[in-house]
Amino acid sequence: MVTGSLKILLGGEGGQGVQSVAAVVAEAAYAEGNEVLYIPNFGVEQRGGVSIAFLQISDQPIAAPKFRYADVVVALSQRAVARTEQYVGLRTVFLHDSAVGGVEDLLAGRAARIIAIPALETCRRESDPKVFNMVIMGALLGQTDAVSLEGAKAAVRGKMGARFAKQPELRELNEWAIDRGMALVAARQ
Amino acid sequence: MAERPVPEEKRVFMTGNEVVAYAALAAGAEIMYGYPITPQNEIMHYWTRLAPRFGRGFLQTEDEISAGFATLGGVLAGRRAFTGTSGPGHILMQEPMAMAEMMRLPMVAVIQQRGGPSTGTVIYSQQEVTMTVSGGNGEGLRIVYSTARHQELYDYTIKAFNTAWRYRFPTFVLGDGYQAKMREILTIYPPGERGIEMVAGEPYLVGPGEPGTDRPPVHLRNTYNVEEELNATVMELIRAYQAAAPEIAEYQESGTGDAEVVVCSHGVVSRVVEEAVRELRGRGWKVGWFRPVTLRPLAESGLKAVAARAGRLLVVESAHGQFARLLKEVLYGSPAVLETMFKPGQGFTVEEIVARVKEVARGGRS
Repeated sequence: MVTGSLKILLGGEGGQGVQSVAAVVAEAAYAEGNEVLYIPNFGVEQRGGVSIAFLQISDQPIAAPKFRYADVVVALSQRAVARTEQYVGLRTVFLHDSAVGGVEDLLAGRAARIIAIPALETCRRESDPKVFNMVIMGALLGQTDAVSLEGAKAAVRGKMGARFAKQPELRELNEWAIDRGMALVAARQ
Repeated sequence: MAERPVPEEKRVFMTGNEVVAYAALAAGAEIMYGYPITPQNEIMHYWTRLAPRFGRGFLQTEDEISAGFATLGGVLAGRRAFTGTSGPGHILMQEPMAMAEMMRLPMVAVIQQRGGPSTGTVIYSQQEVTMTVSGGNGEGLRIVYSTARHQELYDYTIKAFNTAWRYRFPTFVLGDGYQAKMREILTIYPPGERGIEMVAGEPYLVGPGEPGTDRPPVHLRNTYNVEEELNATVMELIRAYQAAAPEIAEYQESGTGDAEVVVCSHGVVSRVVEEAVRELRGRGWKVGWFRPVTLRPLAESGLKAVAARAGRLLVVESAHGQFARLLKEVLYGSPAVLETMFKPGQGFTVEEIVARVKEVARGGRS
């Protein structure tokens, strides 16, 4: 369980899997006994829009669905940086994929820390870009005490159970991605 | 009889649309009619997934006008029928809703407000307040519950069926895109275990026996030939509504005893306001909050009492004064100063409400 409250904002292109990451972490946080509020936010586009997720995990009931400043912002695309920068405060950790440029210049002096993770590049080189979002989730888990690694993996199994049963290698791939994301963020500490 | 949809009290983590589907099942709703529109779609999705397991029905019609009239058809047959819609679909549904007012049909509708006017956004707003409380070509003879959290979405969806069938006025659960889409924790329960007895539906038409011989014929009208006849009918409806209003009206308040500023809000904005007021009181500010749960009928005496004590009200809403207008109608003649914070189609954070309340409170002191 978390102590106090944790506000996480995720942003990416529609289809990148931002909402899946938020839903999995939310489910895991609920299973671990926290108060949780998760709200997706996107426009009318099925593809090609920026998709945002507000996720709050707390030891107290949560009042407002949205918040002013995030403890952690995760941005997966260039356009997501523009949409999420308004939630960056002096205590915010800004986590982004290395393929997204210009973040250091944009947020210089405005965030507590900026961490670039070569998630997409790692997926392309070592595995499969379709688990990009799970690498990002691993990095998020490594950076916060939102949920345990085991809890997150159990939530992924809960969500993907039917597909994992048909294709056991998918489960391995997803769990590899989560571990890899944690390792990538640990290397940046 | 099929198994019970909510066999026992249970803590769950779900989206608001899923909550509505479970609440309607638990309330014994027998059929849903609808037409897809975001952010209401998942009420239908969950309902169509769950309903067949519990012997309940569903019909997707060709548009919202038809969905609304089909709901009235279900009600006329004595069934607990409901629908759900939003934004442009809600506009189309005004015609059947007006008919429900005229013929006192207990239709239940769940409205998940999206941004407007027109297609607007699929995300969120509180801009369907005017349309929900007084849309249509009538006098707004409707009952509107504005919920703030998933627990209330569950409680008041169940309650809406009972209110509708007890008082025979169209009854609305007014949610929004945030409540529809967000996931949070609540407790679902079988109504009977909380001492809630569901009011039975009964058919308006096709009763037993021969009409005219065994019983008087049913003659439901929504058309009148002369002004006097219409006026007499409408006045009778209004008197019935006004008689029921004090039993139906609900509100909540906190800290209003010593407050110099009382923040007024409804729906999901209330939970942000509650947190802002809690923070300010913790730092010694004399502020409170007032929240009508029913937007129609409004808890008039409760609001007047609060206004008389506080002297200064701040109305906060995600629309440009639709909620404030409801309050002003009650407060006409009150010396209370009414300040506003309007953000049509956009949500609030605790921080910005705290800042605005301080501004208003300082204004009051100077």
